[in-house]
Amino acid sequence: MRLLTMRRVWAASAPARAGDLLYAALLLLPFALIIAALMVGLYTISVENVLRALLAPFFPDLANGLTTTELTLVQRIRLPRVLSAALIGATLASTGSAFQGIFKNPLVDSNLLGVTSGAGFGAALALLLGGTTLVVQGFAFGFGLLAVLLAYAGSRIYSTAPMIVLTLMGILIGSFFGSLTSLMKYVADPLNTLPAITFWLLGGLTGVTWQSVPTLALLTVCGSLFLWSVRWRLNILSLGDTEATTLGMNPNRLKLAIIVCATLMTAAAVAVGGVVGWVGLVIPHAGRILVGPDHKRLIPVSLALGASFLLVIDTLSRTLLSTEVPLGILTGLVGVPLLIVLLRRNQTGW
Amino acid sequence: MSSFMRLPLALLLMFTVLLGMSNAQAAPFTLQADETLQPAVAALYTAQYGTAPTFVTTDADLIATTDRTLLPEDSVSVPPHFLPDAFFVVRSESASAFVDFAISPDGQQTLIDAGFLPASVTIVDQVGNTLDIPQPVRRAITPYSLATYVIYGVGAADRLVAGGYLGARTPEGAARMEAIDPRFPELSSYVMNQREINIEEIANLAPDVIFASARSAWLDTVAELGIPTVLFQGESPELLKQSLTLAGQIFGPNAAARAAAWIAYYDRVLSAVVAQTSGLSDAERPRVLVIGTEPLRVISGDMYQTDIVAAAGGQSVSAELKGSWNDVNLEQVVLWDPDVIIIVPYGNVTVATLTDSPEWQVIKAVQDGKVYKMPSWVAPWDTPVPDSVLGIIWLAQKLFPERIALDCSAEAVTFFNAFYGYDIPRDDIAAVCAS
Repeated sequence: MRLLTMRRVWAASAPARAGDLLYAALLLLPFALIIAALMVGLYTISVENVLRALLAPFFPDLANGLTTTELTLVQRIRLPRVLSAALIGATLASTGSAFQGIFKNPLVDSNLLGVTSGAGFGAALALLLGGTTLVVQGFAFGFGLLAVLLAYAGSRIYSTAPMIVLTLMGILIGSFFGSLTSLMKYVADPLNTLPAITFWLLGGLTGVTWQSVPTLALLTVCGSLFLWSVRWRLNILSLGDTEATTLGMNPNRLKLAIIVCATLMTAAAVAVGGVVGWVGLVIPHAGRILVGPDHKRLIPVSLALGASFLLVIDTLSRTLLSTEVPLGILTGLVGVPLLIVLLRRNQTGW
Repeated sequence: MSSFMRLPLALLLMFTVLLGMSNAQAAPFTLQADETLQPAVAALYTAQYGTAPTFVTTDADLIATTDRTLLPEDSVSVPPHFLPDAFFVVRSESASAFVDFAISPDGQQTLIDAGFLPASVTIVDQVGNTLDIPQPVRRAITPYSLATYVIYGVGAADRLVAGGYLGARTPEGAARMEAIDPRFPELSSYVMNQREINIEEIANLAPDVIFASARSAWLDTVAELGIPTVLFQGESPELLKQSLTLAGQIFGPNAAARAAAWIAYYDRVLSAVVAQTSGLSDAERPRVLVIGTEPLRVISGDMYQTDIVAAAGGQSVSAELKGSWNDVNLEQVVLWDPDVIIIVPYGNVTVATLTDSPEWQVIKAVQDGKVYKMPSWVAPWDTPVPDSVLGIIWLAQKLFPERIALDCSAEAVTFFNAFYGYDIPRDDIAAVCAS
């Protein structure tokens, strides 16, 4: 029965011209948005000057006539921030899709196994110890991985129904690290470290510079390529373990590989952008509404849509007011109406 | 006080007088007092020594007076006040024990019993609550850590039983605070702040008054204890002055005199700075950006720091922002293009954080090397505490090195002597001011 449904869904999303165009447009969207986002900012720089500043590293002559301020803002402030927003959005949405697929649950995201909670604790600990930005990011990354490792190790205690136990362990480890983070906030100096911890936990890209980008980019690109490469296997996984085994797959090994990959990506994203909720949960649904539940298209579209969404949100966040509007506020305010509109227009099956 | 309470007191008084006569224990000093003050001084003296005092008319070790001409000129320090406007001029160490008694809660109680001071005061706190506070206040707690320094400022720290201490969590701050007040480790050992308080611990401490922030999360719970809770919300010079005045009303005549003296000192410093900078046009006033615990976290126009910048002759570039700390991005800072950047005393942001950052090189203040970290001793000088007067002096010196005659470390010595009763190490404070 389930196989039949899936086949019908595949048939429905089989090549149709309009669908292909939409798919191609969605994949190109983030690149257009990156260019557009670089053009806007509180400080007015003409489109021509932005382009010249962007190309100046390759053609030094183009920098003539640009002020240092323009060069710095475009090259050192806007570019790393815009790229980070795109990478983080892509990571959160694509890992969310992958997790929803392997856990066969549309209400989870890649934080299911506690990576964000672990990362939050790691960052709080590093801030309490007075670490630099890189140390804080390192701690966040490390403890994010540790949390998932603990959840995974804990789930190995039981041999039956590993996914359920893994989910349970993830929730337990997540709340354990959540409590540890509260403990850090409790012992933090209200004047020095507490504001820093709260600031970090809120999520935001205002402090992003080039030094945060390489690790994030490396992990996001490698991770995305891996998810892309296993996208059709995700379809089989979401049928269920028995079906997957029958089709000659080792579902547990693949799930583990996807969890490791998604965790590395999410930890890197959280380490740079703090806790940005909502994207990983909701963008996969938007993707499904637009291109259907087939992971062959859902994974690429989640990457593109996540990147586009966070780009838009972050651009609003940094340009709407003279003060930064927290990402968490905008993701909900912009995302929910958007999702409702999509839901009304395309009533696709899950 | 009802009359049947007075009878035993009168008997007690007579008894102590008799006891004193049999055990003739004369005071070790000579005493002089204005005629109008003699009954009150006699009540204090009798309570302490069990015998009525003999007043001399000249060359006394201790003079009780309302005559301010007896005080050294332009001294910031406040003489010990035992009644409103009536104080002691201490000419010999031998009288200090008596003076300490006179301004203590016991001395205050003696004067209340004798009818010279009211048995309770009615105050209106900073959110408009009217409170009736029985006198004297012997035990106070300050979960609002800025209020702690207000209590120190009015010289009533000996009546604190617990409090929060902003800026004293670092080892250096803690060591300095303990040097100012040896009771600091004990007083700060309780968990109390705007967010949490242990209600049973508060009940155990049995305070007469609680000084809290109007934004405290636990006000309803504490209200169940029925302890008068004075609410502060001082984010402006006027509110800061008012909080000292309130503390003065609550802790009695000596505290009231200290509060008035601090306000006078604050106004004097302000007018001295304003006198040097009043002729400046807006264009000549440095545009100042005050940043907090993150390089891109800046003050709003609602915050006291904006008033400090204005008082020091500058103008805050982020004055149009609202609320508390605001997170901004560097493009906004570029738009403001501040002439001077001030980093608050707390937090991990240092001058090098900005000057070493390639991104910040486009900001005028960074190019000109005008990025400064505001110093502090214990309480942060940018927050609404009495010490903020030093923050104004320090900032004015940084903004107008040629114009401002006040000297940060000299004023700090004066300030700490007058309002903390603490002789601040000269070299250390000079280094702090110069940093």
